[in-house]
Order: sequence, then structure tokens, then C-alpha cells
Amino acid sequence: MVSANRLAAGVVVVIAAGLFALTFGFEKMPEGITRGFGAEAFPRLVLGTIIVLACLLAVPSPVSEPAQPRIPKMVYFSSAALVAFMALVPVIGMLPAMLLFLVGLGYLWGERRHWVLLSSAILLTAAIWAVFVKGFGVQLPKGLF
Amino acid sequence: MEAFAGGMALLLDPYILFVVVAGTVIGIIVGALPGISGSTTTALLLPFTITMGPVPAIAFLGSIYCAANFGGSITAILVNSPGDPSASATAFDGYPMAQKGEAGRALGMSAVASAIGGIFSVIVLIIAAPLLARVAYSFGPPEYFALAVFGLSMVAMTGGDSAVKNLIAGAFGVLLATVGQDLTTGVERYTFGIHSFTDGIEFIPVLIGLFALTELLEQASQLGSRTVAARLGAVRLPTWQDMRQCAKAISLSSVIGTFIGILPALGATTAAMIAYVETRRWSKNKDQFGKGAIEGVAGPEAANNAAVGGAMVPTLALGIPGSTTTAIILAGMIVQGVRPGPHLFTEQPLLLYAVFSSMLLANLLYLVLGLGFAKVFARISLVPAPLLWPAVFVLSVIGAYAPNQAMAEVWVAIAFGFIGFFMRRFGFSPAPLVIGLVLGKMVEETLKQSLLIFDLSWGGFLGRPIAMTLFGITVLFLLGPYLINLIRRRSARALP
Repeated sequence: MVSANRLAAGVVVVIAAGLFALTFGFEKMPEGITRGFGAEAFPRLVLGTIIVLACLLAVPSPVSEPAQPRIPKMVYFSSAALVAFMALVPVIGMLPAMLLFLVGLGYLWGERRHWVLLSSAILLTAAIWAVFVKGFGVQLPKGLF
Repeated sequence: MEAFAGGMALLLDPYILFVVVAGTVIGIIVGALPGISGSTTTALLLPFTITMGPVPAIAFLGSIYCAANFGGSITAILVNSPGDPSASATAFDGYPMAQKGEAGRALGMSAVASAIGGIFSVIVLIIAAPLLARVAYSFGPPEYFALAVFGLSMVAMTGGDSAVKNLIAGAFGVLLATVGQDLTTGVERYTFGIHSFTDGIEFIPVLIGLFALTELLEQASQLGSRTVAARLGAVRLPTWQDMRQCAKAISLSSVIGTFIGILPALGATTAAMIAYVETRRWSKNKDQFGKGAIEGVAGPEAANNAAVGGAMVPTLALGIPGSTTTAIILAGMIVQGVRPGPHLFTEQPLLLYAVFSSMLLANLLYLVLGLGFAKVFARISLVPAPLLWPAVFVLSVIGAYAPNQAMAEVWVAIAFGFIGFFMRRFGFSPAPLVIGLVLGKMVEETLKQSLLIFDLSWGGFLGRPIAMTLFGITVLFLLGPYLINLIRRRSARALP
């Protein structure tokens, strides 16, 4: 079984190598403009450092690593709720999406007092409308309807 | 002195006064809410400061920073769950005191020790920051580059579970700062055709994502854990005997906290832990520690608040963040068009002294509020997670969206929420990434300028003694712990 540190080091190297490869696609500029230090030089220096550090991370530690706890299902559900909120905004608008999110996630996380959930959600949404839309003049996405 | 008097006079402005009071109250409340730290709050409220102007904005963020550390002690003492990580050490003795029915005494000592530590460090800040700035005034790009590298190396000691992981996170932060148009050549880097990335990644959505949204996902993974609050009687001022007993702990911890705060990247949590150990070491009642020793509350509380003023020293004088929260405040200053550094002391002394005096006021305010309204704050801190965290998300969305009124920024915040969550799962702390992001531009610019001065020869640094000294200290800090371990292991093996 691969240790969590080695796995992390592997992921870091793959990401860093990918970003390093992208530097070859940066626009080339004449020497007169770059003055010997092109736009790609600094990111390459940093990525090289990251790769060296990742190699150090992969070196087995004398101290045993704690086992990685599983990610609880609630994290996946909550993540899905965040993405669902983002998908809803262009359709129904930001304020209604916020109201739905406040009620939905609160319920998902175990709040069963419906009147508390609904009243706190309405209060917060109304406060955001009053402060940002009316107070600061922020234009929130309105949705299709 | 004139500038300081000017700064104090600014506090008479009702708007500034309101901002400092609001920042202090918000700081105590969020500090008391488990999971929402001072850094999360400053990240979350950063967008709301954009319309304030530099002085009220920095005074507001500074007040939150000062008060959040104290607020954290309320839940550390009452529910054994520090509202702010910096109050972790306070729980060691604060909660046992509360269990013995001494919650009011513990909270009273926490408020007084916090205020003494905080005020001491602000006085050090007022004296040390201009001196440090005067030294730094003669720095050129090579010295600044060395200083920024030193600051980055210190992230090795922040959060996370290994120095290497912290350095990797810090380096990714520096890399993140390269996104957008290169200032020298105009070449676009890592923009992936996204128009809003051309000017670089905005600080605000990244900070909101890494702190507030990561914490939301973290809370989702901990749902169901119930906290039992100890009963809180009246919060009272420490007695003369308590003060005499804790005088050594408070003075020692104030010095430790300020010193640790001054070191780049190390903040209040480290300061409080070290202060707890040192308070116990120098105490006559060592055996009482962990069972409800009042010195065990006074020491860490004085230290974590002293670290606040300390952390502002390098932040204001050099532009190098002294902690994660000051990295966010630094980002706030940059958003306001203020670049901290030695020139600030000559160009905008009033702004600086307004910050100093507002921090002094915040320290006095949370002493009064803490003693008077601790019961109210304690009740607010028990808001159930299913109501609190969805509200944090909604505020995060509006905070990320409002500055540029762009949904792309909300997506960036959510993406960094997920990135931060997985970083934490693998033992990477998001704090070094933020420090790297804030310092990234400075590192690249000063390196480029240095190499231009040296005709592209890295050997040019050898002729700059200050830069070489800073590089030397950096190497020592990075390799020191490993060398000490190596020597210890060798000498252990050599023993019969």
C-alpha cells in the first residue's frame, strides 16, 4: 500500500511537471525585452524547487504515518450542494438560490426545526438583499425568470 | 510623536471609532465560534472593507485580529473547544477550571492577561516597527529578495504536519502569484484563456476559499460531535492574589508572544503553545497544570494576544507577513493600494499610527466587553452548525462575488475550498500557500531586479553582506532542526 506522503508527493510531482511543461507554451519574447530573464524562468525555478521538495517528501519517514480516515459521505453531499448552488444561480438567480441553499444544507446537516431553518434563511437572505443590493448597489445575477 | 498624536486623534472620528468597535465585537464573536478563526473572518470580511478606505479598513481588520484571539478563549474555557486555534493551550487549564465551577474566574483572567499581552505588543510595535523600517530603508532588491526568501522559509514552521509539506504549499503559493501577465514582458502565464486571470489571481476569492469554504467542508466531516458547555457564573476581574500569582506568567508570555509574533510566518498558536510550556517550567505549581491552574490560562492568553502586535512589526515595516492573519491583512492593504514597507513610515505615517492606536483601543475594548458580556458571547458561540455554516457559505459567495461582480470569482473560491480541503487531508496547511501568494510578486520582482543589477550573475549576491546573512539564517532555520535531530540520534547511538 502506498503511503499517504508518497501519494501526495506523486500528485505534487505530476502537477508540477504538468505546469513546467506549460511554460514551454509561453509566448517567446526577444532578448531585448526579457533582458535574459524570460517570463518562463521564474515559474520554472519555483516548479524545480517544488519537485525537489516532493522528492524529499517521498523519502520514507522513520515515524509511521497515521492512517488516512475515510472522507465522510456528508462531505460529498455538501460538496454537491455547493455545485448545485452554482448551477442554480444562472437559472433562478442568486438570492432565491441562497434561500434554497440555506434551507437545504441546514436540513441536510440535521436541523429539523423547520420554522428555525426557514426564518433564519429568510432573515439572512433579506439582510444580504438590504445591505448589498440596496446599500452597496451590487447587481446580483437574476436568473432566467 | 506628532504622527502618533494624529493617529490617536483619528480615533475621535465617529466612523473610525464605529469600525474599531464593530471589528472588536465581530472579532470576539467569531473568535468564540468553534471553527471560525480570526484568519477565516478576516478573509471573509476582506471584501467588505474595499469601500472603506485604507485607514478604516486596516483598523477594522486589525481590531478583528486583536479580539479574535481573546474570543477563542471563551469556548476554550467553557466547552473545551477553542474557537480560535490560538486558544488551544488555554483549554488545557481553562476547561478544568470551568469544570470546577471557576469559569468566571478563568474568563476574567483570560480577558486581563489578553489585554496586557496585547497592549505590551502594540507598544513594542510602535517602537520597533519604525526602527526596523529605518534599517530596511537602505535595503535594495537583493536584500528584499533575501528577506522574502527568509519569510518564505519560515512557513516551514506554520501548521501542517511536516516542514517539507509547508514549503511545498508555500512554493505553490508563489507559483500562484505568477498567474497573469508578466510585468516585464507582458507575456500571459497560466491564464488558460480566462480573461479575469490576466491581471493575476485575485486574493479575495482564494482567501475565502482556502479558509471559509475549506472549513465548511471540514465541519461537514465532523458533524454530530456534541459539545457540553460548562456553567458560567459572573465573569469577574482577577483578585489581587490571582494577579500576583500570574504576574510572572503574564510578563514572560507577553515577551515570548511578541518575539514569536515578530518572526515571519509564526503566529499566535505557536506563541501560546511555547508560552504554556514556559509558564509551566517557571511555575511553583507545576503539578497543578492540566488540572485547572490559573497561570495556565494567563500565560497562553497573554502570549497569543502579544503575538498579534508582534506579527504586525514585520508586516508593516517590511511587507513580510508575521502570521497567516497578517498575510490576509497585507492582502487587504494591497487591495487598498497600500504597499507596506519602510517607505510607509515616511509617506503615510498617519495611516500607520491610526492602525497602532486602533489596535490599542481594540485591546482595551475587548477587556471591557469580555468582562461585561462574556455570557452573551458564550451563548452566541453555541449557534448550531446547521445554521452557522450554510450562512458562512452564503457570506463567502457574496464576498467573492461583490468586489468584481463576477461569478468566475465565486467559482475560484469554491475551487480553492476543495483544494484547501484536500490539502488538509494530506497534512498540507493552507496558511503557507497564502503567505507564498502574498509574497510571490515581491520574490519574483526583487529577484529579477537583483539579477539585472548583477548582470544576470547569481554570484552577485555574494557581495551583499545583509542578503548573505539573511540567506545564512534561512539555511540555519531550514536545516537546524534536522541537524539537531541527527546529532541527537548519533549521540544516542554512541551511548552504551
